[in-house]
Amino acid sequence: MPDVANLNPAATSRAEALLTVESLEAGYGEVQVLWGLSLKARRGALTAIVGANGAGKTTTLRAVAGSIAPWRGKVSFEGEDVTHLPSHAKAARGFALVPEGRQLFATMSVAENLEMGAFSKRAAGKYADRLDQVFTLFPRLAERKRQLAGTLSGGEQQMVAIARGLMSDPDILIIDELSLGLAPVVVYQLLATLKQLKEAGLTILLVEQNVHLALALSDYAYVVAEGKIFMEGLPAELAAKPEIRKAYLGL
Amino acid sequence: MLGILASIIDGVLVGLVYGLAAMGLTLIWGVMDVINLTHGAMIVAGMMALYLLANALGISPYLTLPPVLIGGFFVGVALYWIAIHRMVGRPPLMSLLSTFSVNLILIGVGTAVWGTALFNVEVSLPGITVGRYTFPGAHILAAVLAAVIAALLYVFLHYTRTGKAMRAVANNREAAELVGIPTTRVLAISVGVGVALAGVSGMLIGTLFPFTILSGDGYQLKGFIVTVLGGFGNPVGALLGGVALGLLEGMVTPFVPVSWTLVIEFALFVLVLIAFPGGIFASRRGAL
Repeated sequence: MPDVANLNPAATSRAEALLTVESLEAGYGEVQVLWGLSLKARRGALTAIVGANGAGKTTTLRAVAGSIAPWRGKVSFEGEDVTHLPSHAKAARGFALVPEGRQLFATMSVAENLEMGAFSKRAAGKYADRLDQVFTLFPRLAERKRQLAGTLSGGEQQMVAIARGLMSDPDILIIDELSLGLAPVVVYQLLATLKQLKEAGLTILLVEQNVHLALALSDYAYVVAEGKIFMEGLPAELAAKPEIRKAYLGL
Repeated sequence: MLGILASIIDGVLVGLVYGLAAMGLTLIWGVMDVINLTHGAMIVAGMMALYLLANALGISPYLTLPPVLIGGFFVGVALYWIAIHRMVGRPPLMSLLSTFSVNLILIGVGTAVWGTALFNVEVSLPGITVGRYTFPGAHILAAVLAAVIAALLYVFLHYTRTGKAMRAVANNREAAELVGIPTTRVLAISVGVGVALAGVSGMLIGTLFPFTILSGDGYQLKGFIVTVLGGFGNPVGALLGGVALGLLEGMVTPFVPVSWTLVIEFALFVLVLIAFPGGIFASRRGAL
């Protein structure tokens, strides 16, 4: 059985799911955005969520991380129901969300942003080790640690955002729109970093508008449309489907 | 000529206390975009605590500072849960009305209990005499204490975990939640600190001037001017703004009747708002 599982990550996603989202419904005010969305993030894998603007990708992540309250449905993490925990309690359990648009603490230094990343008790004890680790991953940040985060370039800000997420000693790193507004060179550097993190055993859930990138990088992918999962599968399978090629890959 | 200089120096001394009075207001605004209209009432509460503790217990006026600071903190935390918690993130008018209501209640109760009699706390400190002019000891000590408390606030915000968490929440509450900061607790603590600062500034003002239950409004208004001078949400700027206001008062009081002072101050307030909509020191380092 394990051999088969290794060959086909899709088959194992049920058994080894670190994060499970079931029939999630959420929205803003009167406007419902998610209509019963379900997905799983397998331990140690990079799971991608792709889809058009306004499909509900960011809303999914915000509801999962607790930035907005889910209306219905269930979010389980390590087999525990965490649907209604506030964000800070989820961070303490090993969630790290790198939000869309970085959302750094702009008037605080890079070092202070990283320190805040390690705010939870779980992370505070490992602060020095984690700091070494993120400075090894992103040497640029070590050079700029005294600079105010709001004065960095877009790519550097994304590095701080990812590093801040890693400082919390997460079990799952959730990244919203990694490539948005960044130069291709920077995006490739960040992708290489993500691969490194995945090889080190980190579970990653990535939302990405650039479907080419997402399918190239991920172990399993979900396509979101109109607040639901429209299709899911191995990246190669999805890339071969005519409707995906036409609607998302422009082929 | 020397008289004007003395007036200006005294203005700076009093201005430091005004700066402290505005610091709590600007801190709460900076962290959660709430204008705390109980600020004036909290300043008066500090004054009354000074009067009651110093006269009833007969302790030195300056020894009332620690209990006012600590008591103010807990009053502020209570205020957060009563009047602010449910208004955070809503249109500013909501928190404006809810804190204004609490202000009216507090002032109403105070007036019912103490009337509007003038209170005066005797402070006997030797002044410093330069030539023909003597700077009152109370003014010098109040200015020094205000500067020390402002410095402590700076250290708190920049070098402690809780202080940094406050700045993180001020920057971006959602992101602060995401990194594991319990932001609701941080908001409550921020209001606690803001009200503690209001109380202490009231206590210090009480050592300088006589006061009534209704004195708070005037100092709250000065707090707004100082906030605009110093930049919204910038506690360090508030101290500079306070000094600027004190300087202005020192310069104009020898020449105009007292009743004109507020007119001139608010004319300045409007001019600064037109020229620097975010406050003069808005974008400087030291903002939350």
